[in-house]
Amino acid sequence: MPTRTVLVGSASGLHARPAALFVAEAAKQPVLVTIRTGDKKPVPARSMLAVLSLGAKKGTEVTLEADGDDAQAAVDTLADLLERDLDAVDA
Amino acid sequence: MAELLARDAIRLDERAGSRDEAISRCGAVLVEVGAVAPAYVDAMLAREQSVSTYIGEGVAIPHGTLNSKESVQRDALAVLRFPDGVDWDGFDVRVCVAIAAAGDGHVDILAQLASVLMDPAQAQRLRESASVDDVITILEGKPL
Repeated sequence: MPTRTVLVGSASGLHARPAALFVAEAAKQPVLVTIRTGDKKPVPARSMLAVLSLGAKKGTEVTLEADGDDAQAAVDTLADLLERDLDAVDA
Repeated sequence: MAELLARDAIRLDERAGSRDEAISRCGAVLVEVGAVAPAYVDAMLAREQSVSTYIGEGVAIPHGTLNSKESVQRDALAVLRFPDGVDWDGFDVRVCVAIAAAGDGHVDILAQLASVLMDPAQAQRLRESASVDDVITILEGKPL
């Protein structure tokens, strides 16, 4: 199953603006992508509440996973987004 | 989370005709309890223009932008309940959890709030909470 582990790149962590952008992108993917921190239970990347409940800060290691056709592309798209600083004005 | 939430920062019977009016009320309470300078309220309105702070279950979490940290005097929360609802970009908001945070402590607060709201029964209790004690109990994650 396609999996990628990345460090959260946004200065304020995965909340507010970065979380909103991430969740919106996850909802656009053709497959269900999950996100988790450490060994905790994976949660749906397209759920704002679930993503916020991770409490991921800048530098927190998060793992994305998806299954099915186009899963690799979906995981890569979201992983690349997480690594960027989504608090930056031009993000 | 409860240690950041003073009893006098919980308001159960608020009314607002618009999203921005509701945010201004949230900001005014944070100013009243000595958590932020008045400039923070403008930053809360600016943040909302940029990205909605609606998080689901009838709850929004208005807060300032990253560069409004200097307006924060101490980390604090305020909870404002709007029994008649507020039209929040098409969502019906019943509760605002306003956040004043200088560091990234608010990420933990949000994680705890989100965990509570992921349980639909707890979310409903928060929307319908009738007393200050109810609000504190729910946000502490304890069953009523």
